[in-house]
Amino acid sequence: MTRALRIIASNPLSLVGLILVLMIVLAATFAPWIAPFPTHNSAVIDFAFANSAPSSRNWMGTDLVGRDIFSRILYAFRISLVLGVVVLIIATPIGTIVGLLAGYLGGWTEAVLMRIVDVFLSIPPLVLAIAVLGVLEPTLTNAMIAVTVMWWPWYARLVYSIARSEREEGYVLAAEVIGASTTHITLREILPNCLPAIITKMTLDMGFVIIIASSLSFLGLGVQPPTPDLGSMVAEGARYLPDSWWMTVFPGLAILLAVFGFNLLGDGLREVLGAEE
Amino acid sequence: MSTLLDIQDLRLSFKGLRGITDVLHGISLSIAAGERVALVGESGSGKSVIARIVLGLLQETRSARVSGKVGFDGAEINTMRPRDRAKLRGTEMSMIFQDPTSSLNPTFTIGNQFAEVMRRRDPKLSRAACDARAIEMLTEVSIPNPDRILENYPFQLSGGMNQRVMIAMALVNHPKLLLADEPGTALDVSVQAQTLRLMHDLVEKHGTAVLFISHNLGVVREFADRVYVIYRGNIVEEGPTASVFHNPGHAYTRALMDAVPRITGAGLPEVPEVSDAFLAPMVRHDRGAA
Amino acid sequence: MSLLTVDNLSKSFSVAGGMVHAVRDISFAVERGECLAVVGESGSGKTTLANMLLGILSPTSGSIRFDGTELPAKRRASHRRAIQFVQQNPLSSLNAKRSIGASVRLGLDTYQIGERAQRWAKVEDALEEVGLPREMRHRAPSALSGGQRQRVGIARALACDPELVVLDEPTSALDVLVQARVLRLLNDLRTRKKLTYIFITHDLAVVRNVADRVAVFKSGQLVELGETAQIFTAPKHPYTRSLIGAVPVVDDAELDLRNRLAKGT
Ligand SMILES: Nc1ncnc2c1ncn2[C@@H]1O[C@H](COP(=O)(O)OP(=O)(O)OP(=O)(O)O)[C@@H](O)[C@H]1O
Ligand SMILES: Nc1ncnc2c1ncn2[C@@H]1O[C@H](COP(=O)(O)OP(=O)(O)OP(=O)(O)O)[C@@H](O)[C@H]1O
Ligand SMILES: [Mg+2]
Ligand SMILES: [Mg+2]
Repeated sequence: MTRALRIIASNPLSLVGLILVLMIVLAATFAPWIAPFPTHNSAVIDFAFANSAPSSRNWMGTDLVGRDIFSRILYAFRISLVLGVVVLIIATPIGTIVGLLAGYLGGWTEAVLMRIVDVFLSIPPLVLAIAVLGVLEPTLTNAMIAVTVMWWPWYARLVYSIARSEREEGYVLAAEVIGASTTHITLREILPNCLPAIITKMTLDMGFVIIIASSLSFLGLGVQPPTPDLGSMVAEGARYLPDSWWMTVFPGLAILLAVFGFNLLGDGLREVLGAEE
Repeated sequence: MSTLLDIQDLRLSFKGLRGITDVLHGISLSIAAGERVALVGESGSGKSVIARIVLGLLQETRSARVSGKVGFDGAEINTMRPRDRAKLRGTEMSMIFQDPTSSLNPTFTIGNQFAEVMRRRDPKLSRAACDARAIEMLTEVSIPNPDRILENYPFQLSGGMNQRVMIAMALVNHPKLLLADEPGTALDVSVQAQTLRLMHDLVEKHGTAVLFISHNLGVVREFADRVYVIYRGNIVEEGPTASVFHNPGHAYTRALMDAVPRITGAGLPEVPEVSDAFLAPMVRHDRGAA
Repeated sequence: MSLLTVDNLSKSFSVAGGMVHAVRDISFAVERGECLAVVGESGSGKTTLANMLLGILSPTSGSIRFDGTELPAKRRASHRRAIQFVQQNPLSSLNAKRSIGASVRLGLDTYQIGERAQRWAKVEDALEEVGLPREMRHRAPSALSGGQRQRVGIARALACDPELVVLDEPTSALDVLVQARVLRLLNDLRTRKKLTYIFITHDLAVVRNVADRVAVFKSGQLVELGETAQIFTAPKHPYTRSLIGAVPVVDDAELDLRNRLAKGT
């Protein structure tokens, strides 16, 4: 662990990524204590300070009803992170198991499973999510379901391609000759060899999930007001461009930083885990 | 004869978790154009890493520290830009790896992989031309039904056939230097003899130099003009093949020779434990003395 | 009674453009405690034969009898224990992400050999038996030399307490010094644990010094089977002669013998 940190720290870009991600996680965790206006995550109205530009009172300005944008961004990070983590925690195991079975068992199982995966992958992700949300109510939970549905096939694809080449390795043959079960071979032998790639992809994907979720709420399909969300904040502010630029620029910047941070960290992790003995 | 590969005082260390491990301690080795040179020695002594340094692969690994001089055909590999090194690989120099099955990509057909290699030299080559040339090469390494093989995936072939495919692929672009790391391990003796004859012919025909890494001293004796013996990152003996085999001067070389099983059936050889004599200084044979 | 009897065994693969007959109508028997070497040209079906014995491939036709009972084509775990395997490539045959102890333990867990709590001790015993230090079980395969890895492969096979061990080129990735040590170890274990070996190799000089009998394969067929001494003094089949004639040798006595045999005199 300390070694992993040392390797990440030795590369300036991954270090930036690590710091960004840490800052975002801390900001989200401690939002109620850090935020100058902790109550502004709900339907508070403060017309006295409505639509005011960045100042010493409101570092990033306020929105139309006078809520502090900086405070709302901190809260929005919470939603984004929770959404990202939940989506990946559900999508990754599903995709991993499908990929392991298809890659290791081959034949008929592989044909059926990978055909299903291909069908999902052939639909543009946002279209798929919009379709899901067309059927379900647009709520946070359903947004998570929608993003999960479009996300797991990528893990299936990734794990499948690794498992397929690992299947030819001598250690798999050795386990088969000894008589080990399919469960043992897939989960105990092959999966550890897929983990570095999976973890790297999860880190990179945190950023992308945040973008997709923001895009959904930008379209009004995700998190509903008054809950703060980076995507809907951008959408709302966009109507008042260019005069009230702070309403879009700061939430947009926050999305950018989050995505950027996770990507840099992911690249750093790829190296750490790739260099694993 | 001009010197094609000129390695001087090559040192290599790996930066690991538990500090720095020195692997090569100042190796000097040279190969003339068209010369066949063998490198033999114990497992883990640094034979494969030398080949990977010549190919410029280790210089691009973050954990590896390479110093010394590696001259190839007038250029200096160690200080070359990575892009220029990459251009040499597969065209001016090529490599046959120790483990054929894992050096071939399991997800592409043999034909696809041939085409990819050939297009490194000539990107505009048509697929039909690639296939025709691939079939020619596969026939030269005595693979039966080469047209069928082109459509196969590596896992459908036996280890020996994959090894021959690798050899054919390495020679298809007529490189100046061929690095052969244990090319014979997966071959039966008669095919091995054939492959060696093929490599001989190519050396003669195109002036290809070969750095031949092997554990099989019998093969080395038949194939190489000159031999380097390496032990724990140091060259311990160097000389013309016949001279080294008839008069091994270094204790390690002698132990190695004694450990070779004989077809005359002397039983399993007694194995000496590692001894201090193995660390004795290098023995150099005169050229021409046998 | 022989430990292993193979009768009219065949295996064909269908590939793009037709059928490959990898093993054709082979019959032979292996006695308990002997070391049978299998040699032959590349692609002659040696590995395919080994895979059928191990139950990785099912035969197209023919039968394999082990210890008096016919082995089923689809083999269950319980049928596998007695026939184990040591592979050619010692690095790829060990999982880089698991400690070598975990790899050796797999057989013990699969067959419930010994008390659960004692299994690590048994793993260490197995390592000790092949000449590796007990505490090495914590190491990753990458931290071992080629010869040590091959010893781990042997320990893993022997941990299952097999009767027959199929060795597919067990020493071809090793230098001759390490090879000599591993071969001595294998010989030693064979006597000590009353094992039977099927030893697949290209190295006829190794065969000369370890095998009791030699089976020569060519294009999926068994062309000669005989005592080692006989094969190396009076080979009968022309292919066997050509095989011995191509052996790379290091000393003049060998060269002499080789040339004599190749000429068939
Ligand atoms: N990427 C690496 N990181 C750390 N150590 C390495 C790396 N590659 C090789 N080594 C070490 O360098 C030494 C030389 O390895 P090398 O592969 O050259 O041996 P070799 O002579 O080719 O052996 P063999 O005959 O078994 O193939 C070994 O001790 C090995 O553990
Ligand atoms: N899964 C497969 N599909 C199609 N053909 C195969 C398959 N496995 C093996 N073969 C073919 O069967 C023949 C015998 O292969 P096998 O691997 O048994 O040879 P071998 O004697 O072990 O050779 P080597 O000494 O090179 O390892 C070869 O022609 C090979 O191409
Ligand atoms: Mg090597
Ligand atoms: Mg084989």
